[in-house]
Amino acid sequence: MATGMVDNWLNVDTFGAIYPFVGSEGFLAIVGIACWIIWHIWQIRKENAEFRDDIDNINKQGGPGKILDEEARREMEDQIGQ
Amino acid sequence: MDNELTSLGIIFTEFYYWVTVVFMFLIHVGFCMYEVGASRYKNHTHTLMKNTMLIPLVTVTFFFFGWWIYFAFVNGPWIIGPLVDAPWATPWSELMGTHMGGPPVQDTLTGDDTAFWARINGVFWAAFLLFSWTAASIVSGAVIERIRPSAFWILAVVIGSFTWIIDAAWGWSWNGWMVQELGYHDAYASGVIHAIAGGFALGILLVLGPRIGKFRADGTPRNINPHNPWLVTIGLFLIYTGFWGFYVACNIPVIDVYGSAMLDVAGKSFFSATNIYLQPTTLSAITFNFLMSLSGGLMVAYIVSDGDAFWTYSGGLAGVIGASSGNDLYHPIQAMLIGGVGAFIAFKMHYWVERRFKIDDAVGAVAVHGYAGFYGIVVAGFMLWGYPSSPFEGYAPITPWGNFIGALIMFFVLGFIPAWIVSKILHGMGMLRIPREIELVGLDINTETQRAVEADEVAQAVREAARSGSSA
Repeated sequence: MATGMVDNWLNVDTFGAIYPFVGSEGFLAIVGIACWIIWHIWQIRKENAEFRDDIDNINKQGGPGKILDEEARREMEDQIGQ
Repeated sequence: MDNELTSLGIIFTEFYYWVTVVFMFLIHVGFCMYEVGASRYKNHTHTLMKNTMLIPLVTVTFFFFGWWIYFAFVNGPWIIGPLVDAPWATPWSELMGTHMGGPPVQDTLTGDDTAFWARINGVFWAAFLLFSWTAASIVSGAVIERIRPSAFWILAVVIGSFTWIIDAAWGWSWNGWMVQELGYHDAYASGVIHAIAGGFALGILLVLGPRIGKFRADGTPRNINPHNPWLVTIGLFLIYTGFWGFYVACNIPVIDVYGSAMLDVAGKSFFSATNIYLQPTTLSAITFNFLMSLSGGLMVAYIVSDGDAFWTYSGGLAGVIGASSGNDLYHPIQAMLIGGVGAFIAFKMHYWVERRFKIDDAVGAVAVHGYAGFYGIVVAGFMLWGYPSSPFEGYAPITPWGNFIGALIMFFVLGFIPAWIVSKILHGMGMLRIPREIELVGLDINTETQRAVEADEVAQAVREAARSGSSA
């Protein structure tokens, strides 16, 4: 079993491509491009879900105004504490 | 590779570009620090990830099609000629992998071509790729705190692996149509990286709109200061450092100017570094001019910004960018003066555009890269008027109008317009801007809340351990 055409380095001056599975480049290009496009689709779906969770979380805490007021109060307490 | 001198030349060139890539990596480190320093606390993680993830996305797409575009699109295509064959740059080429330079991989390549590309392809690809990251990263800073990461990454691929590399094929290669027909000269990329990235950022900003709170009810702008100015300035210092690699990567390290089928002068040899147009230059010249244009920019920016650290550092960049088109040929004092004017233009234009058009460019990227870059191309057209644009016969000489048309192509045709169109499409699909509630409280709301809960839990456990004397 050998994945590549190199079985010794005696004739290295005549070698071309030496990675495993020479001849599969076209297939690899298709797989690579598919992976790239699938990544974008997956990421957009994940981001949509993340933003839905964020908005739920914000609403559970009383909305952006209340969160910002609470944040300002904590910052004030931290400063007083220091 | 059976001759010591030839091998030395090829392996030196291979190593030379490899070193530039390492240096240019620092540009990206700098941009990440700079953006995190410029953004507000509750957006840090998303801001960092937005910039970081452009690295793999632009890299893989530059492998799939960006590198091929550089060689294939030199004629437009169909502006002065057809697509050009570039068999070493397709993603299915054997030369895009580990290769010892043996027999030609196809009929259109000679044995020498195969041996050359087997060694140079990866490092030359990477040097261009780091330019691609830079172009996308310049845009990233302008749109912080309100663009959806998914939208930014699509736009990053558009500029990083498509529009910038088209401009490089057209105006930043020895045989690009803009060089042949317009005499376009932009040796260190005032236009091909900076003006296009600035124009691209402006195209997005026009559709994206300002951050909430940026403008008062009467339309006057508020300053949203960097949360950590020291991180911003260290980031800019790192960008300066990486800029050395950028400049050196714009050169070809050693070539026989008489023996490269260009000047074709029998019996003569002249080995020299050249710029990307194969015109002789020296590392010494660009070292003088890089530092002098940086200094001119810093000195002017310090004065006009009243010693503001952010704008002084940015002015240094604007100085280099303003002089870069002609920094292969300028005298160092010319570079200093041109750089100083570049910084002045960037600073004044940034605030004028902000007031007049209500454009919220969070880090001044459009000004420092776009306006200074545009100016840099135009001024090179005047300063280098009449110089040959190429060692080849029949190319147009450098002229003010050739470079001015080139500046318009870079900033508007390949920068602003594609960004505006793609942003409009993303906006129409509701995919450009983050929801308003999230923008108000910050993109990291959930992770920050989770961290606070976890920190409280740990603190509670520590207190209980202290009370009980337990070591658990």
